[in-house]
Amino acid sequence: MRWAIGAVGVVMGLWGAVLVLPVVSVDLLLWFVAGPIVHDVLLAPLFAGLGLLIARWVPQPWRAAVQVGGTFTGVLVLLAVPLLWRPFAGGPNPGLVDRDYWTGLLVAVGVVWLGVLVTTLAGRRKRPHADR
Amino acid sequence: MKRTSSPHTATRLGLWLGVAFGLCFVTGLLSHYLQHPPGWFAWPTRPVWLYRFTQGVHVTSGVAAIPLLLAKLWTVYPKLFERPVVKSLPHALERGSVLVLVGASFFELVTGLFNATQNYPWQFFFPSAHHAVAWIAVGALLVHVAVKLPLMRTPAEEVRRGTLSRRGFLLTTGGAAAVAVLATAGGTVPWLRTVSVLGTRSAALPVNRTAAAAQVSTVDDGWRLTVGGRRFSLRELEALPQTTAELPIACVEGWSASARWTGVPVRDLLALAGVEDGDVRVESLERDGLYRASTLPAAHARDPLTLLALRVNGETLPLDHGYPCRLIAPSRPGVTQTKWVTRLEVIR
Repeated sequence: MRWAIGAVGVVMGLWGAVLVLPVVSVDLLLWFVAGPIVHDVLLAPLFAGLGLLIARWVPQPWRAAVQVGGTFTGVLVLLAVPLLWRPFAGGPNPGLVDRDYWTGLLVAVGVVWLGVLVTTLAGRRKRPHADR
Repeated sequence: MKRTSSPHTATRLGLWLGVAFGLCFVTGLLSHYLQHPPGWFAWPTRPVWLYRFTQGVHVTSGVAAIPLLLAKLWTVYPKLFERPVVKSLPHALERGSVLVLVGASFFELVTGLFNATQNYPWQFFFPSAHHAVAWIAVGALLVHVAVKLPLMRTPAEEVRRGTLSRRGFLLTTGGAAAVAVLATAGGTVPWLRTVSVLGTRSAALPVNRTAAAAQVSTVDDGWRLTVGGRRFSLRELEALPQTTAELPIACVEGWSASARWTGVPVRDLLALAGVEDGDVRVESLERDGLYRASTLPAAHARDPLTLLALRVNGETLPLDHGYPCRLIAPSRPGVTQTKWVTRLEVIR
């Protein structure tokens, strides 16, 4: 079973290589290796560092909620990058990619942190002795 | 900080990610074959929203896969620093296959996300590259599954270091995927449009290529639509029996929007011109550009809801939407719904 899955995978990957050969370029190869590099040397250490800061500086009843809020904020910021950084964008199209994304991002992040506030306060109320 | 990787959590996330990648791959291939149909490929004309659905699933599962991939890599990040770097030939091959998998995965998700926002910070041709690397990603994924399959039976870790419990970590990841989907899916899910602050569609019916960009200007009375050997003026088209249908425009970039289109069924025009039906080549007034012409498969050409639309939502077609007439067919990618149509030709 494992061998069959692996063999199918190898064949599909090779077919992908055949398809990519005619369009391969330095640009494409850079995009291919950029993901792992940016993740391994930038995103992951940044996330780990923020996690450490939260563990050290944020008091207990808040810690988990702040970490969740931070994670959601990070995902929203990543998704907003192609909407906010647009020197390579196509021509303007009425009704497409023309919303106020700065405000949108701010509102979404605000809702997330409101959620952090409410869940933590609600959790404290339910367990009044938890922070003793 | 000393942290070990957690196979139990990693395989759970791997399963979710596998589902997301599987959906992306299958719907992406469908979209590719719709635009470059091999001989064996056939696509139904009903339901009219079928392509809207498959392409919506494609982009949405891709967006959901972004936090899933990041969480998955987070659980195995300590393995990156394993020493020695290479223990044996199989170990080297395995690490190599993981590098290919991660590279191809990021390539697909990031280029897909940028393309969905009509942002192209690269020189390669996106559709070909995105299609080719998808095969590499899924191939490497299957190799990875084959290697790691025994780990599926790993028991849950007794204690997880860190602020969040194992359960909490998985819940946070699921929540992050849900946040990502909510923030973007309004481009295709109508009732989410105001909620999706990072959605691409702002108007009820957006324009994806303006007349100015296509270098098409409004036509005069001399304009004729050529169908086989027959030519129709705009007046003649307006005098023919009209059909009105609610049909979606569904873009490969993931947004979609429904509108009420009124016009003459393509099959009526072919019958009036006395040509046998078959695959129909639809040409635009646009002089060049990748999508200036499209081929309408015979099944769609025969469908009574495939229209050469003259009106949209009760009004004369605006120039940006394809005046004097545009193609609108059920269950087809937006790029094949040719605007500013000037000629219909049965090619086989």
